[in-house]
Amino acid sequence: MIPSAYRSACLLALAFGVPLSLLLACASRRLRRWMPALFVLAPIPALMAALCADSGSMLQIGNDTLALTFTLDEPGAMLLGVAALLWSACGIYAARDLRERADVDGFIVCWLMTLTGCIGVFLAADVIGFYFLLATLSVGASGLVLQGKGPDAHRASAVYLGLTLLAEGFLLVALILLVQATPDGSVLIRDAAAALSTSAWRDVTLMLLLTGLGIKAALVPLHFWMPLAYDAAPIPAAAVMSGAVVKASVIAMVRLLPFDAALPDCGFPLAAIGMCGALYGVVIGITQLRPTVVLAYSSVSQMGFVVAVIGMGLAAGDDTTPMTAAFYGAHHLLVKGSLFLAVGVLMRTGHRCLWPMLIPAAVIALGLGGLPLTGGALTKYAAKDLLGNGLANSVATASSVATTLLMLHFLHRLRENIAKDVQARAPSVLVWSWLAMALASLAVPWMLYLTVPIDTLSAALAPSALWSALWPVLAGVVLAIVLHRLRQYLPRVPAGDFGMAFGHMQGMCVAAAKAASRADAFLRRWLVATIALLLVALMFGWAAVNY
Amino acid sequence: MTSTTFFGLCAAALVGLGCYGLIVNAQLLRKLLAFNLIGHGVFLVCAIIAHRGAADGLGGDPVPQALLITAIVVAFAASALAVALILRLFEETGSASLTRSDGLAKSDTAEQEH
Amino acid sequence: MTTPTTGGGLLLVLTVLLPVVGVLLGLVVGGRHAQRVALVTLLLGLAIAVALTGQLMHSGEAVVYVLGGWSPPLGVALRADGISIVMILAVAVVVAFIAIYACGNFGTPAGVREARRPVMFWLLLLAITGSLNLVFVSGDVFTLYVALELLTFAAVPLVSLDGRAETLQAALRYLLYALLGSMLYLLGIFLLYGAYGTLDIALLAQRIQPETLAWAAAALMTAGLLAKTALFPLHLWLPPAHAGAPAAASAVLSALVIKGAWFLVVRLWFDVFAGVVAPRSMQLLAAMGAAAILIGNVVALQQARLKLLIAYSTVAQIGYLFLMFPLAAGLNAAQLDSAAAVSGGMLQAISHATAKAAMFMAAGLIYVTLGHDRVADLRGVGRALPMTLVAFALGGASLIGLPPSGGFFAKWLLLSAALASMQWWWVAVMIAGGLLTSAYVFMVVVRALQPAEPDWKPRTRVPRYQQGVVLALAVCSFLLGVVAWCPDVTRIGRPGLSVVEAR
Repeated sequence: MIPSAYRSACLLALAFGVPLSLLLACASRRLRRWMPALFVLAPIPALMAALCADSGSMLQIGNDTLALTFTLDEPGAMLLGVAALLWSACGIYAARDLRERADVDGFIVCWLMTLTGCIGVFLAADVIGFYFLLATLSVGASGLVLQGKGPDAHRASAVYLGLTLLAEGFLLVALILLVQATPDGSVLIRDAAAALSTSAWRDVTLMLLLTGLGIKAALVPLHFWMPLAYDAAPIPAAAVMSGAVVKASVIAMVRLLPFDAALPDCGFPLAAIGMCGALYGVVIGITQLRPTVVLAYSSVSQMGFVVAVIGMGLAAGDDTTPMTAAFYGAHHLLVKGSLFLAVGVLMRTGHRCLWPMLIPAAVIALGLGGLPLTGGALTKYAAKDLLGNGLANSVATASSVATTLLMLHFLHRLRENIAKDVQARAPSVLVWSWLAMALASLAVPWMLYLTVPIDTLSAALAPSALWSALWPVLAGVVLAIVLHRLRQYLPRVPAGDFGMAFGHMQGMCVAAAKAASRADAFLRRWLVATIALLLVALMFGWAAVNY
Repeated sequence: MTSTTFFGLCAAALVGLGCYGLIVNAQLLRKLLAFNLIGHGVFLVCAIIAHRGAADGLGGDPVPQALLITAIVVAFAASALAVALILRLFEETGSASLTRSDGLAKSDTAEQEH
Repeated sequence: MTTPTTGGGLLLVLTVLLPVVGVLLGLVVGGRHAQRVALVTLLLGLAIAVALTGQLMHSGEAVVYVLGGWSPPLGVALRADGISIVMILAVAVVVAFIAIYACGNFGTPAGVREARRPVMFWLLLLAITGSLNLVFVSGDVFTLYVALELLTFAAVPLVSLDGRAETLQAALRYLLYALLGSMLYLLGIFLLYGAYGTLDIALLAQRIQPETLAWAAAALMTAGLLAKTALFPLHLWLPPAHAGAPAAASAVLSALVIKGAWFLVVRLWFDVFAGVVAPRSMQLLAAMGAAAILIGNVVALQQARLKLLIAYSTVAQIGYLFLMFPLAAGLNAAQLDSAAAVSGGMLQAISHATAKAAMFMAAGLIYVTLGHDRVADLRGVGRALPMTLVAFALGGASLIGLPPSGGFFAKWLLLSAALASMQWWWVAVMIAGGLLTSAYVFMVVVRALQPAEPDWKPRTRVPRYQQGVVLALAVCSFLLGVVAWCPDVTRIGRPGLSVVEAR
């Protein structure tokens, strides 16, 4: 028998290696044509690894001085498994979608790059490998946004890439501080996280880490890239981005932050920002008309909620936080991905075949708000321990109400955006991939809940639990009806809300750049440059004096 | 005033005049001559050091004299290269001055791209 | 203290002598044979560089050769420690790639016995290699002066190789500014000799005192060398020179020639003036570097021509090279191991050399294919020259600092040094520089990936081997981070550092 450590290492190697080799194979034009057919198979090794590899198993490539390390811990395995499911289903959708595009090479390369980066980020165990794969993921994702057909694709891609590189700048400094805090300079993430709570630079590191990861998790106020990107990207790309790509920041937070010691002065502000984001996302989301933008704001809201849960866990020093946050993230991943696919399918469906498509969408959308017996209710039940009984719990309940409201608004907008032709039907491949994802988002949370296990079945099915999940949904329905009556009084807010105000700063940046050009032209005149040389000699003469 | 101080002041004057000429003149040949003036000033400094560092019985320290000769040859080669380039420039354009003050041709000037 | 010639010392002489012999031979045989002489010489030079590296790692101390058996202060010693040999190897590799690339552009046309441009290019390439090697192995400041002048005289004609009026102007600007710098450097040498009676670097390091003459010499020499390195604000000659030269020449100038003068600053500040100058002079040096990074990148963003964009990118990247000074000094002051800052600086220099050479060569291929190099009209390049665009992107990734490139590890080392010595402001400068660099790299790549007009055809077909060479060099630069797996060669032969263990 193959020893299980060896088997796990092989599974990890295949999980990462298969998408990577497909990406490298894209260099050949002939092989590139075959790639869309392989989209569905590429994430399967990752799914196998998530199901079968032992927790804590490691794969190390390199020697003692510097090695690329992959590992699979429990939160990572959960997120990797559901992400692989999403990538497969969206791969089927994308392969069918690509038949209608003229220029597919860019999409194929960016898709495989994002897939490699996504799987790599969930598996990465050392700081440098994590940074590299995160960069690959971000560049690939911005390339996917660029593949969108609308005129806004360029701007959305530029904003996304700019903010993501800014986040990675913060993250790089934080990672270096983490490595410096470890006793022997180890680059492994688990050593860094263990050393963080006792590090001398703890506060600065946490601030930089949370800023960088917060931008990638679309924490308000730096969230405005999300509506722009998800609206501009093609549907399968948006599904995969809103599902899997954004969970990279969740897994990073969960692995890097210290949950062994209570840090209330860091955790509570984080939770507050998260909750503000959760409510803000809904407030702006209900003013939007395009279903993809509404889903993007829902993602802003849900990611805010996850971050709030992590914040509360950080404040209390609770080490069940990683599993809870990962569980919540996994459910959101499945639901959001399915809903994006639903948008794509329903855009091509006419009135005739509407209801078979719309009912599953309604069920899982309401599940996000916490409809009893759906995965959403389970995740909210699992998170209630962390949120406690005070203000955080009330805000969380308000968030459930708000999410239900937003989801009903989404369903309404979805219905308004169906195909004009009454008889139209979406291609069956697309429909089946969407229905498979919908089924997965109903079934998989229950499977995770029972097999991991998170808690007991009876606790989840207790009447008090069911009622506490049901009444926010009912309140949300009532609010939605009120909103529907009053909808012409809602203001028109552009997608990306106040991020658009940064556009006005563009004038300032252009003026500053022109000033730099003029300064450069001035300094490059012979007269100025030679006098500058003599002045530099004098300045060094003054600066070198050292008594 | 000793001879060392006198020659030192001469060297300083040469370097000063040369710098002025290099900075202010637009014509390339005059810049080259100014560079040579600076060079003479610096070489004079070397000669003064040779004189100051002379051991008993020697007129001057031989090492700086060797440096001096090498440096003169290098400056000579530099002047030759510069003259060749100036001649070529004159043949191409008919003028031997630095034209645009920032050295970039008109077609290269940056346009604001947005 | 007389150091005898160590084993392998003759290799030091060969690194300088071989290219010089090559130049003379090439002049004699002339015509199309000059190219063959050059290629053979560069190949031999690569072999010698590898042998020298092996010798260094085997012996674990600096390689020394005393000319004529006369030891300093009367004689001249050639001395190569870890940082020298790393640079020699890097130069040998990059020049080899550039030489293969240039076979396509600088071959003598058929039916012509001798053409000016190709012969001059190959001879000047050899001359640059020889003078760079002399810069790296010299053990005394006057030989360094001679080497620096050789480098300038070999580089200036490369700028005006095409013979157009604006390139001649650019070459003259370069020559005159560099000569002014040389004169300042020479004055500094004379002051040092006048004060301490020796020119040998090792002896000077022992005899130098913190007094007015030493500071004046340091200031003059540094200013002169900064003029030759084109550190902001002394960069007037660089953009027109590097943008006007032919692509292979720009690659050599931007990647390698600049590093010669920078290496001299490193040698002087770390070996001669180490304990003598005040720390705020290091901060001044890095402040100029920071200004170079910020303003160079911002101006690069606004350039209309690709070659000018890459030239201004060089202006910015030179700034990174000067950040290592206060970081090493800060680590020393905090009683920490400063070798990381030095390694970071050397790795930054090498990765910039490989990446910038690849980018300039790629720009040359783009120019030939499109007939122009306007940044706004680059569409269609992705389809016509896919390997070249990938090469440009990989070189850009090294400049931005994405793993596993050399640029990333250099940035990692420098940032670690900055954080360990509590100099936060350099951290902000490096991160801002990375962001600005990524802006123009992505701008070029995205524009080039757009499909061309339907009936557009490339102006000239570019030979596949040229594209292959550019891609190979870019891949080298992208994978340069793997040197982290090799033992740290830059520590060997550095005084006072050999005792401290690596991280």
